[in-house]
Amino acid sequence: MSERLRNLITVALLAIMATVLVLLVVTSPSESDRVEAIGARIKCPVCQGESIADSPSQMARDMMALVSERVEAGADDEAIVDQLLASYSGAVLLDPPASGATLVLWLAPLAAVALGAGVILWWRRHPSPEDSPASVDVGQTPARRLAPLLILAGSFAVIVVAAGFFLQDRDGPASGVADLAGQDLDDVSNDTMEAVIAANEDHPEVDGMRLALAERYYEEGDFSSAFPHYLAVAESSNATQPQAVTALIRLGWMAWQGNGEAETALDLLDQALSIDAGSETARYLKAQVLWCGTAEDGEAARLLEEVLSQSDLEEDVRAFVSADLEAIRAGEACA
Amino acid sequence: MNRGLRWVGYGVALAAVAFAVVLASRFGTDPGLVDSPLLGEPAPGFDLAPLEGGDPVSLADFRGDIVVVNFFASWCLECRNEHADITSTADAFADRGVTFVQIGYQESPPASLEYLDTAGRSDAAFYLADPGSRTAIAYGVFGIPETFFIDEEGTVVGKIIGESDALTLGATVDAIMRGETPGQEVTGDTQQRPDS
Amino acid sequence: MIAALGWAGMLTALVGAILLVVRGIRGGRTGAWQELGGPAQLLLSGAIGAMAALLLALITDDFSLVYTANHHSSLTPFPYDIATAWAALEGSIVLWGLVLAGYTWFVFRRYRRDPDALGSAALAVMGGVAIFFFGLMVTVANPFEVCVQATDMGCAASSPWPFVAVDAPLNGPGPNALLQNHFMMAIHPPMLYMGYVGMTVPFAYAIAALAIAEPGPEWLRRSHRSTLVAWSFLTLGILLGGWWAYEVLSWGGYWAWDPVENASLMPWLVATAFLHSGIVQQRRGMLQAWNFILVISAFSLTILGTFLTRSGTINSVHSFTQSAIGPALLGFLVLVLVGSFVLFSTRSDLVASSPRLESFVSREGTFLANNLLLSVYAFVVLIGTTYPLVLEAFTGTQVGVGEPFFDRLAVPLSFLLLLVMGFGPITPWRTTEPGLIWRRTRVPALLALAVGLATAFLVTRNGWVVLAVTLGTFVVATMTGLLIEQAGRRTAKTGESTGQALRKVVTGDGAFWAGQLSHAGVVLVAIGIAFAANLGAHAEVVMAPGDTTTFEGYTITYESPFRQASPSKTIEGSRLTVTRGDRLIGIVEPSWNRLGNSPSVVGTPDVLHRPSGDLYFTLRDLPDDTGRVTIAFDTSPMIWILWLGGLVTVSGGFLAMRARRRERVGVEDRLTADV
Repeated sequence: MSERLRNLITVALLAIMATVLVLLVVTSPSESDRVEAIGARIKCPVCQGESIADSPSQMARDMMALVSERVEAGADDEAIVDQLLASYSGAVLLDPPASGATLVLWLAPLAAVALGAGVILWWRRHPSPEDSPASVDVGQTPARRLAPLLILAGSFAVIVVAAGFFLQDRDGPASGVADLAGQDLDDVSNDTMEAVIAANEDHPEVDGMRLALAERYYEEGDFSSAFPHYLAVAESSNATQPQAVTALIRLGWMAWQGNGEAETALDLLDQALSIDAGSETARYLKAQVLWCGTAEDGEAARLLEEVLSQSDLEEDVRAFVSADLEAIRAGEACA
Repeated sequence: MNRGLRWVGYGVALAAVAFAVVLASRFGTDPGLVDSPLLGEPAPGFDLAPLEGGDPVSLADFRGDIVVVNFFASWCLECRNEHADITSTADAFADRGVTFVQIGYQESPPASLEYLDTAGRSDAAFYLADPGSRTAIAYGVFGIPETFFIDEEGTVVGKIIGESDALTLGATVDAIMRGETPGQEVTGDTQQRPDS
Repeated sequence: MIAALGWAGMLTALVGAILLVVRGIRGGRTGAWQELGGPAQLLLSGAIGAMAALLLALITDDFSLVYTANHHSSLTPFPYDIATAWAALEGSIVLWGLVLAGYTWFVFRRYRRDPDALGSAALAVMGGVAIFFFGLMVTVANPFEVCVQATDMGCAASSPWPFVAVDAPLNGPGPNALLQNHFMMAIHPPMLYMGYVGMTVPFAYAIAALAIAEPGPEWLRRSHRSTLVAWSFLTLGILLGGWWAYEVLSWGGYWAWDPVENASLMPWLVATAFLHSGIVQQRRGMLQAWNFILVISAFSLTILGTFLTRSGTINSVHSFTQSAIGPALLGFLVLVLVGSFVLFSTRSDLVASSPRLESFVSREGTFLANNLLLSVYAFVVLIGTTYPLVLEAFTGTQVGVGEPFFDRLAVPLSFLLLLVMGFGPITPWRTTEPGLIWRRTRVPALLALAVGLATAFLVTRNGWVVLAVTLGTFVVATMTGLLIEQAGRRTAKTGESTGQALRKVVTGDGAFWAGQLSHAGVVLVAIGIAFAANLGAHAEVVMAPGDTTTFEGYTITYESPFRQASPSKTIEGSRLTVTRGDRLIGIVEPSWNRLGNSPSVVGTPDVLHRPSGDLYFTLRDLPDDTGRVTIAFDTSPMIWILWLGGLVTVSGGFLAMRARRRERVGVEDRLTADV
């Protein structure tokens, strides 16, 4: 048999075999599971890079169950994917869509192949001049050219690292649980402060916050809300002396102003004075209670005198304390 | 040819610097952090039964209130840490038009209930079961704890990823009451179920 | 004390590296012999000392070292306590330094034989890289920080200097649960690093050649063996990583296009291109520019990969914890890329000189096509891996790029590469006489289609499997045809027996035929992947003890749940028996492992290896009190072909090294594919 005939037969045989093979493959029943196909496009949010179709985690299986249900309900692929994207954002798509920002990903490989092929063809057409053996003076070149080279490269490296530090997006995780001591509380509502206090009852610095909240209530005239906090501060073993004193004074005054309980008020004010003997406020308020409540004018006057004897008293305070003292001495009833 | 090569060389060097600057700009950021697409959107509705069973509770029931939705589970350490804070905040805001809803995540209701028995509950809050994680999926939960804030009109206006505390929760609610949109904040890590 | 030893090691190595650079540069400029042995020895002994100190700390449970306190636990069993040396960031840099010092030693030994400017300059470059890595060790990635204030299970405050009062915690948390589950943790990283770090050698020679303005094949010749070693180990490392993932991790699969897997694939692709392209330069002096670009890229990609895993910029299951090492690695990467390519540009006149390509239908042409395909492949993996990062940096949009994207591009590229693999070795150099290619491929083509048809009729009509088998047969057939052709010609000339002729042909051109063996390995890998990825079956069944179910012809019975507790590990699983017909195939025990100090549980599947493939059993959830559990069944058909193919590919690489040594003798005996 001649060579040509053999070749012809071979080619024919190859063609037939190839055709049959392609037909067999193309007509093979491919069970395309829609649910699997959709699942393969979605990244499992609680795993590293697996699709929800592949991942064994519970969340992935729950999501696949959702996809399954939607497929059975007749939704089309894109709608199901969009539904998941609406919840999780595009970050869970494993296959970037061929549009918008990710079009680059689809085009770039093609561009690379085209570029590479183009370069090769161009190189074929425009070869370099025939072999010119390295006619460069080996001794001279390295030293002259290398040093600036290294400096150039080094400075780029420094620029990059510096740029990195300056461009850093510093939205790292915020600090954990709020530090009670250092917060600016102006914007915070009473309810929030209540919540914080309730959640941090054992915190050593909660008393400051209690006091702040109690003062707010006091100024609003809401004595019943202020009371438990003042009480807690007064009884707290963590409270500082000034805190305890303030609490006791307020409690005393609320007992008198709110309920007219002079004995209780005096008792509380005495407690305050036993902690801080120099407290003018306590003295003054005690004097008021004695004058207006138990009618012990003498004791009241004596206390007021002690207050006035403080040298660092402010002028306006001195004024009304003196006025009250005069009134007591004059035997007037309290106003 | 030499000139071509020279351009190739310089070109690659330049591209390398540009690439490096881009990479450098990502330092300090969390690559896994995803911005929630729900912010500014209507909150996904839910209709879930409480953990102990009974009539379902739906988000629509709370229209007009500020709703705080927190996903939790007993196996989540940060959730345990923040639980007391959530409870106290729920109590504090009980009569102020703020409703707290805690939804069990990837956990059987009996396990969640057992945990709540020891950790405590707020009488003003709702504790719901999420079978099949449908609600978690709808809210785009990546891990727990995650807390969502929904304003009176039903729009998602805030999200906390990670452990929260009473001050953060309360301050966020205060801000919403003033009409602000707090946005998304990361306070720490979230956890997956240990057998994921 | 151990910390002091470690410091001594690191500093010694650093001194050695600095001396290498200084003297190496001097030697590169003058061409005169330099005393480089001493510095190389310092580098190596220092590196060994540092690693030894780290290992000692781990073996003796010395928790005064922050590294030990953070990553080790006294409960960690052997060999995982050794593997902890490279399980965490600082230790992995120590390993890198050690391997680098080892390779530098071999470069020095070559220098001893050929003490010229090229060798000198190459050692200088190696020294420069070593300065960087050991510099990292003494600054931002210090493995020998000591604890000065301990807490119950960790270190609250530390000092980089060892000569302070130490306060050691009593114990540590131990390595990540996933890293204690399989012995491969002790092997995979060192193998991988032998590959990664090995690419420093041809890079060093290339930069040296450019720096001293001596292009030409010499730098290729000298580094070729190291390139082969590096490539072989890199292939092995990737293979082992895939096998480990497949065996143990519940996220299953031998390849997931995880960013760190990609970080190992990119240098591998480029190194493969470089390996092939270097042959063209050694033979015909062509493609020199390609070779420089390829080797610089390969080395840079290893640094990029190291950066991506350690900088916290990309989310990956492999990620180490973030630290200040990120900016340092990035800076080094820029230094390498910018310095190398600017150097390349300034020497472009020298680089460009090369003979013309006479015809595309030539061995050179196929190598060129090979270069192009592999480069595009690496480029595709690069953009896929880094695009989400880049996009988020510019626009804040978050996208995901995963398996579907990579598969879409990688699969066609892989098949094209198979095709080139079939044509390349049978295409002669320079030009082809008309009809030669046809004569050499017509029978293989017939054979390939015949086998393809047989597969379609007897096994499966899945397109990917059929294509892989067809192309694979083609490749093996062309290579066998060539072997027979050459042996036949030899027999006609010398009258030897066929067996003898065959042997002579192979040993006469050992490197070439070792390469063909690797090609055969790649064919097997492709076929293995095609089968396993396309023909696997999956089912999930809820079973209680005593239940029976069937799957793919097997009968599976749930015998009982079980529980094993030891100080270091608690295992909770289900025992299943698998039968086929009335024959017992095996007993499997898929389980959940909880390790000593860790709260998380690791799913541990169990596998039955069969000739038809693997049968995989995984627990999908925790067994409840009655032992009732959801079990997943998976098959990976013919997957052993993948592992076999990988091993064959690797051995081809190692054999090529041995062959080159013998090749220097008996060149006259050689009958190459030139004819």
